[in-house]
Amino acid sequence: MKLVLRHVFVLAVCAFALFPILFVVSAAINPIGTLSSTDLLPNGFGLGNFADLFGSDIYPFGRWFFNSVFIALVASFASLLLSMFAAYAFSRMRFAGRRAGLLALLLIQMFPQFLAIVTIFMIFTRVTELYPAFGFDTVWGLLLLYLGGALGVNTWLMKGFLDTVPKELDEAATMDGATHAQIFWRVIMPLVTPILAVTALLAFIGTMSEFLMASVFLRDPESKTLAVGMFGMIAGDNRNANFGMFAAGTLLTAIPTVGVFLWLQKYIVSGLTAGAVKG
Amino acid sequence: MAPDVPGTAEPAPRPRRESSSRPRRNLTTAFVVSRIAVLAVAAAILLYAVPPLAAAGSWFGLWVLGAATAVIGYLYLTRRFIPAKYLVPGTLFLIAFQIFPVLYTMTTAFTNFGDGHRGDKQAAVVAIETGSVRQAPGSPEYALTAALRGGELVFLLVDPDTKQARLGTAEGLEPLAGAQVGITGKVLSAPGLTVLKAPEAAARAKDISALSVPTPDGAIKANGLSRAVEGKAALVYEPACDCVRGEGGPWTADEGQGYFVNAAGEHLAQGWQVNVGFDNFARVLTNPTISGYFAGVFGWNVVFALASVAGTFALGMSVALALHHPRMRGTKIYRIAIVLPYAMPAFAMLLIWRDMFNRDFGLINQLFGLNVDWLGEPLTARFAVILVNLWLGFPYMFLVATGALQAIPRELTEAASIDGATPWKGFRKVTLPLLLVALTPLLISSFAFNFNNFNAIALTTDGGPFPAENPQVGATDLLITYTFRLAFGAGGAQFGFAAAVSVFIFAIVAVISATAFRRTRKQEEVYA
Amino acid sequence: MSKRALGVAAFASLAFAATACGGSDPAAPSAAPSGSAPASSPAAAGGGTLVIWADPNRVKALKPFADQFGTENGVSVEVKEISKDNQTVFLTASQQGSGPDVMVGAHDWIGNLVQNGAIDPVNLTEEQKSSFSPIAMKAVTFDGQVYGAPYAVENIALIRNTDLAPDAPASIDEMVKTGKKLKDDGKVEEILCLPVAQKGDAFHAYPIFASGGGALFGTTASGDPDPKKVLLGSEGSVKAFGKLKDLGEKGDGALKTSITNENYITSFAGKKCAFLISGPWAMTDVKKGGFGYDITPVPAFEGGEPATPFVGVQSFFVASKGKSKTLAQEFVTNYVTNKDVAKALYEADPRPPALTETLEEVKAADPDAGKFMDAGKDGMPMPAIPEMAAIWEPFGIAEAAVVKGGDPAKAAAAAQKSIDGALKN
Repeated sequence: MKLVLRHVFVLAVCAFALFPILFVVSAAINPIGTLSSTDLLPNGFGLGNFADLFGSDIYPFGRWFFNSVFIALVASFASLLLSMFAAYAFSRMRFAGRRAGLLALLLIQMFPQFLAIVTIFMIFTRVTELYPAFGFDTVWGLLLLYLGGALGVNTWLMKGFLDTVPKELDEAATMDGATHAQIFWRVIMPLVTPILAVTALLAFIGTMSEFLMASVFLRDPESKTLAVGMFGMIAGDNRNANFGMFAAGTLLTAIPTVGVFLWLQKYIVSGLTAGAVKG
Repeated sequence: MAPDVPGTAEPAPRPRRESSSRPRRNLTTAFVVSRIAVLAVAAAILLYAVPPLAAAGSWFGLWVLGAATAVIGYLYLTRRFIPAKYLVPGTLFLIAFQIFPVLYTMTTAFTNFGDGHRGDKQAAVVAIETGSVRQAPGSPEYALTAALRGGELVFLLVDPDTKQARLGTAEGLEPLAGAQVGITGKVLSAPGLTVLKAPEAAARAKDISALSVPTPDGAIKANGLSRAVEGKAALVYEPACDCVRGEGGPWTADEGQGYFVNAAGEHLAQGWQVNVGFDNFARVLTNPTISGYFAGVFGWNVVFALASVAGTFALGMSVALALHHPRMRGTKIYRIAIVLPYAMPAFAMLLIWRDMFNRDFGLINQLFGLNVDWLGEPLTARFAVILVNLWLGFPYMFLVATGALQAIPRELTEAASIDGATPWKGFRKVTLPLLLVALTPLLISSFAFNFNNFNAIALTTDGGPFPAENPQVGATDLLITYTFRLAFGAGGAQFGFAAAVSVFIFAIVAVISATAFRRTRKQEEVYA
Repeated sequence: MSKRALGVAAFASLAFAATACGGSDPAAPSAAPSGSAPASSPAAAGGGTLVIWADPNRVKALKPFADQFGTENGVSVEVKEISKDNQTVFLTASQQGSGPDVMVGAHDWIGNLVQNGAIDPVNLTEEQKSSFSPIAMKAVTFDGQVYGAPYAVENIALIRNTDLAPDAPASIDEMVKTGKKLKDDGKVEEILCLPVAQKGDAFHAYPIFASGGGALFGTTASGDPDPKKVLLGSEGSVKAFGKLKDLGEKGDGALKTSITNENYITSFAGKKCAFLISGPWAMTDVKKGGFGYDITPVPAFEGGEPATPFVGVQSFFVASKGKSKTLAQEFVTNYVTNKDVAKALYEADPRPPALTETLEEVKAADPDAGKFMDAGKDGMPMPAIPEMAAIWEPFGIAEAAVVKGGDPAKAAAAAQKSIDGALKN
């Protein structure tokens, strides 16, 4: 009986979660793919919008898709590593400026990013001159920029989790003569798999949908990410005309994320490792 | 797999100082390999980064690079500074791409940086002079051919009316004898001169735009590669008087405003960036629109941020708890459904939500048979933006709570239920406190994020609805949206002012977050 | 096709870079060698590079011509796509020295671009100037100088469903009457499809506002808009806001805040209203509706002022801080003013061309272009002065307020006050 209640509750939340997305689905399969809010049920069914999307001369959707997934995978992996290192230090070690550092990490995120764009231009104009491989219009430059934000929220997230892992574990390992690096890689990392997976997923989603920096950074039509390219589709006057294609693209954007989620899900919900902590 | 550990009941040993364990470590292979790797990476970076810097003559850049590499090399080769070893990689990027931009932006708060004042004075002078060049009245539109006289670049100019060819050099115009003029009206060849073909001319584009052929009324300059025009600058800067002479002038430089002004108090359009001290900050404090509405906007801003955090956390955690049951079926599907809102591009979904709230065309009124002007009335608009933000944010909390729940050993909750605690009590006494250890820092950062959640407002209501008598402050405006309307909405982008505003908002968020953060200290010590 | 092949090649090279991730060759993995095939490698050309920035709609159309220009002059041409805040990004990038040589944008940017020293005047010959429609030349002229080469002119007009309303209404009053009758008969759901939305829409409302006697700026001696004289709070403007109120939710119900930029065109295409006030960009959707339509100028109030629409002119600008200014001048003054280029741009993105000759040519195949042009021929070029930025939002909010039934005098005064405050008048 209790299970039934759980299902009812979760189903209700799912309805809330999916309701606006149904609208996108409807627009994507609607042959007259336009942004008119009245119709949840499509006037017809067709995959024309998807075909248009992949057949489009103007929008190299396939390239965007690849760019996004590539950037998101690399950026989330690298930022996961960087923030994991930092979180380990913040959670496990006591050093001068630790709490100030944590607070600073939080506050730095509060500064409106669009103001910083002027400086980003300043930095990367110089970088483009000196090291074109990391300059504007390159994926690697954008990745560097994303790594700047790696410590931000992710460190806080992981630090919170590391705090729940008993310190006795590292103490014991230290007694056994393990170095800090060994403790980090062999003791801590396996124990926090669920949260590594969660953080990786969040970082992946965050990069997939990052828009502000990517839009000033990637200017070749072929080098754009999905978020930037799709924004261009409905920017300005074309909002109505391209909406069907845009909706189709939005749905496809979710596929890599869902894929990554499916892949990581088993780590996220594998209660086994966590159970062993205090076994 | 995991080593045997003492039970939680035992008092935890005091945290050991890192240094005390140092002598125990041996020189392992991993140690040697990692050091070699560090040296290799440092060397590779140096090899890659030094030549362009040296070529550009950027000694300061070289110095910074050298110092940074030396510090990093030392840091990873020594056994000391263990925390720094873990912090430095991320911090380097943080400094370069976040801290430096923020600090730099803050310095602009003391300037009038913005539209009309983006560049320096020299750039403004150049812009004023070029912008004032007008074609000499009645002068011909010369057909231009670039040519070489020896090594010197010269212009071969043909007056389209008279078909007469002339030679233009840096000294002036002179007649050109024996030139052969083609049907396009351009010189094809001339004795003693090498005519440049299109690609050759394009290759010398810089020299071509630099060459100015003086005439009695002004100068002839190339306009593209195939035409030249005789023009004269109506405004000319004179360093002697630090002023611009010409139409409407003299315009004297006003270093306080960053403009050239004339006697009538008008100024030339092109200005430059100057230091204005605390003017921008004073403007924030004295601006009647900001001070007059501060309390109301601030109150709503706090409500919005708190409601967003509390709502997303409560809903996300409830769903995570509901699914966190060994006999729960279909969890995979449920989880995907709940993560989906987070996987869709937020800007698109915000637009879609805005349409769903439309009174006549929106899905919500239609489904529930209502006729509410959701985004047109203050209360409903506020409710709507919180609801939309809930939708956008709860999957995040769900994911995080799901992860956190895995870290709570089931034995603890089971033990509680064996002790006869009701599920609610078990949740409150065991699960929630442990969840909060992991998630409090995140809740604080979520609050700070939502306090400044520009997009959630800008893409839905854009601050509205606005009362008829005040188009500047709307019912759903956050501090950041309404101050930025002042900074960017009118008179172009005023970056300096916006930076000053940001500093104030930053201070507010910092105080709130720091206070909340202080309270986590206790938690950290209790559970860690 | 060659572009597709290149895309595949670029894909492959990027995939290679991905597998060799962390590889030692830092020069290889630049994002994508872009589509402009022969021109993209700087080494191929001795003559430097011409960089053009445009919005996503125009990049595709420009590319073949950019490449041709590159081949003719032996330079490499890169067309880059900026999708958001084009004007600001252009200014910021220019200022920092990484901007383009040629920028494509709307003429009403000119004032701001000039005050930031971002663009240079463009020298067109008398012959070239006379080949453009007069309103296009007027729009790109700022402070007595021509700052851009115009290529498309756009303005709004009244588009009507001739199946529902066979005759063009002579006045706004008549249009509202017809619309009301159709609504009462259950043939349509809305009287008029004109976006108002919660924050108003100054661009679409302007013709009606002007016809009601409203004005934005006074004029200077030279006939330009005078930013020192904001007239939103003037008597005429209050009267015009009153007229908007009469048409609004508490009056005729022709103007509604629920009609927005997202739904007004689709509603018309879905036969939910017989009248649409919109521009050339609506035509793709309108044609999908499958009914007869006609385009006429926006009508005026009975006995009112003419309903002048705003006219926007898309233009090419020469960036002051570009690295290849001579090439940029060559491209803007002598190349894109060419009628073949204008025609191709029209075909890629059908907006009425600014070149009269091209317009005539286009008219034959597409009478709509000519009709839009006629509807805008007495229009008002959007003021290019930077101070215009201060007008849009307060005007829109005042409009939305009166449409919802607010007091016109109060709304006008509040708008005037807020604009004067912003402009420090």
